[in-house]
Amino acid sequence: MNGIQVLLISGVVVIFTYYVSRFRNALIDLAALVIFAGLGIFFILFPDYTNVVAKKLGVGRGADLLFYSCILFFLFIILKLFARLKRLEDKITELVRQQAIKNASGNQKDQAAD
Amino acid sequence: MGFIFIRFMLHPDKSKPVFIIIPAYNEEKMIREVLKGLIPLGCQLIVVDDGSATPLQPLLFDLPVTVLRHAINLGQGAALQTGFEYALSKQAGYIVTFDADGQHLPADIEKLLIPLTNGEADITLGSRFLSAGSNIPSGRKRLLRIARLVNYFFTGLLLSDAHNGIRAMTADAAAKIQLRQAGMAHATEIVAAIRKKRLRYKEVPVNIHYSSYSKAKGQSAWGSFRIFFDILLNKIFK
Repeated sequence: MNGIQVLLISGVVVIFTYYVSRFRNALIDLAALVIFAGLGIFFILFPDYTNVVAKKLGVGRGADLLFYSCILFFLFIILKLFARLKRLEDKITELVRQQAIKNASGNQKDQAAD
Repeated sequence: MGFIFIRFMLHPDKSKPVFIIIPAYNEEKMIREVLKGLIPLGCQLIVVDDGSATPLQPLLFDLPVTVLRHAINLGQGAALQTGFEYALSKQAGYIVTFDADGQHLPADIEKLLIPLTNGEADITLGSRFLSAGSNIPSGRKRLLRIARLVNYFFTGLLLSDAHNGIRAMTADAAAKIQLRQAGMAHATEIVAAIRKKRLRYKEVPVNIHYSSYSKAKGQSAWGSFRIFFDILLNKIFK
């Protein structure tokens, strides 16, 4: 094992434990996380296997395959975050609007009342 | 503003009160003047203070208006929606939207309401291009021509004026229009709702008073791009 492998594996382990400690409620998330972390550590230890997978998919090098899939993955994450942000904004908007209606102030008499 | 000839008592029909919604964001300089022009109409005035840096309520305490304040700035679309909901909860008969920067003339409100009271339309939209009197700056004219086509592209309705803040609608129409766009793209959203809910609409010529103040507060070319992307994103993320 060389230096970069130690660094990467400890990175994976730290991220894994961090996520597990925060989101332990959804079983499917945990399963996906275990698989990703396992695969990550496997390919870090045996980088030559990425070349095998890459060749099968028509990509020259394993590192390139990783690079391309990372781009896709991050785009996916950005979209997910964007959607979540939008939902959050909608909720805040709704809350602020309801509060504004509840706290209506002014000295205008109701027309419908008279 | 005060010199304009205003017909008193727009609506003798008390069972259908007219609510004028004035969304305002940092309009403390103009808002009093605008409201003073509207008070003689005898309508219910609802100012929606969209999280202005200086709360508007203390400035307006002596005027017969209702102030709704958003705790934070949400955008004009959200402010209008707040006003709609409040007006509907107070059994409004007709709802008018009116900008707070003094660009609209109170006398135009009656023109917008006539097709509604006659039952010819569910919603009327003010158009500055149908009237001869407006002194529209040429840059603005070009911008609005593009906005009109963008609106057409997204909504399928070709209107003569894409983004005009003065409109009137019946309570039923207002209840059908749900503004989800917090920002300025709501103008397109209203048009989209007209088509989707099959509302009968009519464009009414109105005059816009372009002062240096209202021009500075209005949309810049850059703002138009923001609106365009808001519409686009809203299409993608339903």
